[in-house]
Amino acid sequence: MRAQTEAPEFTTSELMVVVGARELKDGQLVFAGLGIPQIAVALAQRTHAPRLIVLNEIGLVDPHQIELGVGNADPRHWYRAAVFSSFLDIVGMVGHRGLVDVGFLGALEIDEFGNNNSSEVQRDDGGIRRFGGGGGANDIASHAKSTIMIIRHEARKLVERLVHNTSPGFLTGGDARRRAGLPGRGPSRVITDKALFTFDTTVGRIKLLSIHPGITHEDVRVSTGFPLEIPPGVPETGPPTQEEVRLIREELDPTRMYTSAI
Amino acid sequence: MTAHPSRTDGVAGSKLMTLAEAAAMVHDGDHLALSGFACARNAIAFSHELIRQGRRNLTLSACILGMDADLLVGAGLVQRLIYGGGSLDRFGSLQCVNRAYEQGTVVAEYYSSLAVAFRYLAGALGIPFMPMKSMLGSDLLARLKEETAPDNVLEMTCPFTGDPLVLVRAMVPDVAVVQVQLADAEGNAQILGPRWENGEAAKAAQRVIVVAEELVSTDVIRQQPELTVIPGFRVSGVVVLPYSAHPTSVYRCYDHDHDHLRLYVAKARTEEGVRGYIEEFIREPGDHVAYLQRIGGIAKLAELRADRVLGY
Repeated sequence: MRAQTEAPEFTTSELMVVVGARELKDGQLVFAGLGIPQIAVALAQRTHAPRLIVLNEIGLVDPHQIELGVGNADPRHWYRAAVFSSFLDIVGMVGHRGLVDVGFLGALEIDEFGNNNSSEVQRDDGGIRRFGGGGGANDIASHAKSTIMIIRHEARKLVERLVHNTSPGFLTGGDARRRAGLPGRGPSRVITDKALFTFDTTVGRIKLLSIHPGITHEDVRVSTGFPLEIPPGVPETGPPTQEEVRLIREELDPTRMYTSAI
Repeated sequence: MTAHPSRTDGVAGSKLMTLAEAAAMVHDGDHLALSGFACARNAIAFSHELIRQGRRNLTLSACILGMDADLLVGAGLVQRLIYGGGSLDRFGSLQCVNRAYEQGTVVAEYYSSLAVAFRYLAGALGIPFMPMKSMLGSDLLARLKEETAPDNVLEMTCPFTGDPLVLVRAMVPDVAVVQVQLADAEGNAQILGPRWENGEAAKAAQRVIVVAEELVSTDVIRQQPELTVIPGFRVSGVVVLPYSAHPTSVYRCYDHDHDHLRLYVAKARTEEGVRGYIEEFIREPGDHVAYLQRIGGIAKLAELRADRVLGY
């Protein structure tokens, strides 16, 4: 374990923001919705990726919010955009065209192949509990050069079998994704509140990259609903820097809408 | 609201009409393309009027459904949904839509949102379908093919490249209602801010109803014609009604009303609650002006007015 004094105190969601930001490169075209992805993108823009461009399906290119909104449809989210256009212009002529570098996706469930359910889950009584639906998530997952999924790390969320494969990852693994004709390269990272995952693209399967500070191997094992190899030497996720924590708290999410303690 | 403003009386080619007249252009069993995206620019007053007039067996479509769809489903007017998703942003989910889906009281033709936009685009262009590479390998496609829309999707191999393709069928709604900031009496309609799929949906539809916050002269439209999303010649009816998207937002006009959205989300939690909401805010007030009184009147509306610089 890292000594407490080396890093500032941080919340789990702040760590998830920082992990998300580190995955982004300058100049990339990024689809990022509300919440942790939006803050991660803003953090990347304020640190190492000032020319990263955010796209939004409602018809936005490169907005620069000065207040956090309640959603994609909130004009707070549209402030100082370079383009106001349409769903077809953004999700079609940028997304379907294959120009999106990174798409952030939320999920109700994911499986070991990075397939993503954002539609519905099973209730305890066996019935279906419907959520809002994926919207453009399937379009992003189908076409983006890479996707980063954010999900709470629980055994009922990281599952062996999805209730609904809304947005395919590597489907059944191997080269199933390519054979299905999906143009995008598929999922590249999964960020949970316990760990960071990547994908072994030769077998199309999830692989542990690091475990967050303070989380034990056993925590990860019991919170993962599919079989997961935890190599003994798996590293700890690097903590946020003082400056990253300061930016998040003072400038990017001052009301702690998305980055307070879970 | 009954009469339209007198300054437009006698305008040649005027399509101005009352909300009641416009709602009567939607018939039982029609397919209605909606205007909103989550909690922005929803056709709320128009939906209220459809509920008051007791329309039945509607099909609703949108890339992302909002509160207008939730009200129409909650009031029992809807038999089919064609959509990619829907919510009230952070205020909550579309509880009436989700409940109807769970209980099987609506048929949910559930696509990726781009597939819905492509279906409108094909309809607008007058071509029979659009090929796409979204939805390949997904349960979206499996359910559409097997359960909800076997006549509206197909898979094929591209005759040019050999790639797998999904074909989505053209969609021609009977009516599209579009909530806009400015329109003239002929129906030239200008949208400020992002337009999501409003343009394609309107151009796909047989009949277009424009609901405008403000009526302007054609001279005003002609000063910034680049803002005109729907040309007047495609429009069948124009309703001018301020705050007609409340409690959703209209960019550069007014913000969403979070007190009222919270109240709605609390009510919509149960079927009984949403019935109570419809009684209290739609049937009892009886028209849009009385509704605006009930949600707080001029004091509330003044509070919601958009800042000129921010646009919200």
